Amino acid sequence: MPGTSISRGLQWFRQSEWSLLLAIVAAVAITAVIDSNHSYYERPYESLRDIARNTAMLGIFSLGAAVVIIAGGIDLSSGSMIALSGTVCATTMLALAPAEMMGFKPVGPLVVVVACGASLLTGFLVGTLHTWLITVIRLPPFIATLATLVGLRSFARALCESGTAALTPTKSALINVADPLFKTVRDNVSIPVTVFLLLAAATWLLLSRTVLGRHLQALGGNEQAARLAGIRTDNVKWFAYCFGAMTAALAGLFYVANESVAAPVNQGRGHELNAIAAAVVGGCSLSGGVGTVPGTVLGAVFLRVVIDAVSKIIKTGADVYEGLIVGIVVVLAVTFAQAGGGPRHDRRLLPGALGLCTIPILALLAGSLTAMTSGGWAGVGTGLTAGLLLICLRIWEYRRRRAE
Amino acid sequence: MTASSDIAVAMRGITKRFPGVLALDDVTLEVGRGELHAICGENGAGKSTLMKILSGVYAPDQGQLEVAGRPVQFTDTRAAERAGIAIIHQELALVEELSVAANIVLGREPRTALGLLDQNACERLAADLLAGLESSIDPRSRTGSLRVGDQQLVEIAKALSLDAAVIVMDEPTSALTEAESARLERTITRLREQGRTILYISHKMDEVFRLADRITVLRDGRHVCSVDRSETTPAEVTGWMVGREIADHQFHGQRSPGPCLLEVERLCLPAAEPGRPDRLADISFNVHAGEILGIAGLMGAGRTEVLETIFGAAGDDWTGQVRLHGQPVRFRHPREACQAGLALVTEDRKRLGLFANLDVAGNISLCSLAEATAGRLVSRRREEQLVAGPISQTGVKTPSPRAAVTGLSGGNQQKCIIGRCLLTKPRVLLLDDPTRGIDVGAKAELYALIDRLCREGLAVILTSSELPELLTLADRVIVLAEGRLTAEFSRAEATEQKIMAAATAS
Repeated sequence: MPGTSISRGLQWFRQSEWSLLLAIVAAVAITAVIDSNHSYYERPYESLRDIARNTAMLGIFSLGAAVVIIAGGIDLSSGSMIALSGTVCATTMLALAPAEMMGFKPVGPLVVVVACGASLLTGFLVGTLHTWLITVIRLPPFIATLATLVGLRSFARALCESGTAALTPTKSALINVADPLFKTVRDNVSIPVTVFLLLAAATWLLLSRTVLGRHLQALGGNEQAARLAGIRTDNVKWFAYCFGAMTAALAGLFYVANESVAAPVNQGRGHELNAIAAAVVGGCSLSGGVGTVPGTVLGAVFLRVVIDAVSKIIKTGADVYEGLIVGIVVVLAVTFAQAGGGPRHDRRLLPGALGLCTIPILALLAGSLTAMTSGGWAGVGTGLTAGLLLICLRIWEYRRRRAE
Repeated sequence: MTASSDIAVAMRGITKRFPGVLALDDVTLEVGRGELHAICGENGAGKSTLMKILSGVYAPDQGQLEVAGRPVQFTDTRAAERAGIAIIHQELALVEELSVAANIVLGREPRTALGLLDQNACERLAADLLAGLESSIDPRSRTGSLRVGDQQLVEIAKALSLDAAVIVMDEPTSALTEAESARLERTITRLREQGRTILYISHKMDEVFRLADRITVLRDGRHVCSVDRSETTPAEVTGWMVGREIADHQFHGQRSPGPCLLEVERLCLPAAEPGRPDRLADISFNVHAGEILGIAGLMGAGRTEVLETIFGAAGDDWTGQVRLHGQPVRFRHPREACQAGLALVTEDRKRLGLFANLDVAGNISLCSLAEATAGRLVSRRREEQLVAGPISQTGVKTPSPRAAVTGLSGGNQQKCIIGRCLLTKPRVLLLDDPTRGIDVGAKAELYALIDRLCREGLAVILTSSELPELLTLADRVIVLAEGRLTAEFSRAEATEQKIMAAATAS
């Protein structure tokens, strides 16, 4: 049938993913118009490069987060895993080639390969530890990975300090990495992007076209039924948590390359939540069983595009408002996904006492944000306008309800 | 019809649309005060939707509701409760982590003079209500730890605690044993003596004809008729429900059992917590190829435990011997049981069997997906070819193999799960209460399917909370009481009375 191939083509993206794509295009277009420095016109290559690099670094471990979430779990530890992976890599290089590392000289490709292998192996070990805590000790995934979230970062710092104390004259909380191979990765954005796209394609194939992928979805959808259907659920979980930790370990290597340093105290701090946010914005359900790779990729792109847009428009460092933007994007994306595209006829946004108390909170938020970015009086004006609009909405909702 | 002041509830011209489905089409229903009004219809006929509109869960698209002669509009279930309408939902709506007492008073907790939660009053109230149902459930036990039948009793007690003038019972006995159903019927009699109006949804014709004053039949979202019980017969009502005559089949005749396939000897399963009696004690039976062995017993008698233990799903601390084809086997995971040729259709379809996030094909192919691969990748086309067999074999009615499984009726969902089991090419099929919550028409189809599979040489072990079902299908029946085997009957010897006597033996 000729129609089949067309509908197959459309099925590459679901409806929510098309709207996400549309939102990405809209965010780029709005930034291009509003940004007074016109960075997207004048330096398109640099802008694209920044967004592509940031997206690839976030996207790599977002895919891991998505697989764990689809399998019905959660991995809160990926930020700390990034720090540990970088530290293991740098410490291994320091141990194998201390003179070259301290003299900022090349350590040789063999040492780099061994160090990167050690990082990925660490990811496998951490994933296995998670699975053991969850399936044998029977901790809830949230608790098990919360413990490693705080524990692994501390462990990485201890490893860094005792490693530098033993191998170099001074104890240090960071290790500089100056090998040319890492510099090449830093200077060629195509490398992280290619790795990300290959990993995304492999994950897509895994989830949609393999038996293991189907078992991951079944596990996330109904764990007891999956076990009774004869699926070795513990082994499937083992894969999911190892995939989550190893993608974070892989991302950790790119963090080290990008910053030329392994810094366990701050590297990747809080980024686990960005990865979970990318998966959720891309349509993964935290109750498990639901989610796609194209959605997660688009979710990561959307987050980075919006963060970039805001930093371009208000001309501050992207990191200042990053958390706030991620928070707002998650709320809006999930709200729209639940509403199914349009607001329901009978839904009220500001009902009862809770609605009354929400009006000043939203007005205050809008006002203070405007005040911080555009000056005090603009903030007061925005806050008052927002408050007035919300009061009008409340009155309108109240009258509509009375009329019914 | 009675005068308008004697009408407790009237629903006029009710229409309700869901995306893609016209669930109710201009349905009108009048229920007299103090009447027990049975509502019959196949699954998907609109019974539950109509009752959810009456109890404020859904708002109708068109039509009018009247309670005690006054037009009303319910925005939520609280509004319906204030108007004196309580509903016992078919799908259990209990908070599993809370105690039985806390569930019964949920949202209407009694308080002390200081405004604190009055724990004692909660438990007293719950104990009184449960005593009224002649149940020995401890009000302090965690609701999630109860079996389905006991949870259903808690749900009933919760609705009774509202002290409502109109009580809607949506298939209240679908998870109850005969003895529990009899207790519920006594409760219904008491409620009627207090002058309450009851709307009663059921598939079970014997119940309907024992209890009801009037019977309303729905089919495909339309009102077929409302008649006095004395003016009709069960066969006529069943005919209205399905729109065709259903023969009352006996399936067990002329089967020729083959060699013994599965033998179970002195099976014991210790209690999950120390200090409680063993879950199973000293149970021995066997089942032959081409034979259906029925397991009867009250809720909690150990029917599910027997199947789960054999299937390797109940842990590894059981003792005794299981022999398959004469060889001793001991399964530590359901996977090993599947590979050895066993298949289990679980008791609670939604909780233990169905994957709502997968489509129809995904649900059926799950255990055999490796057969639908090209290279190492799953081929959608091959998967659809693979599931076409079980879909036609079990008669699943679905618009396409890629349709959402949640869009199918309960009977068709169950056929999907049986189809999943058949794809693993089992020699022994374990069916744990397979027709629970399934309508009459689909039940007859499932009976025919089970009979056909058995004639093809499968050994079938079937548990059921409905004795007529066991008597219709089984060649032999064993009876469990409190984890012990109390009787075994051949088909010729078995009667409902004998089985009940054995099931309640102590």
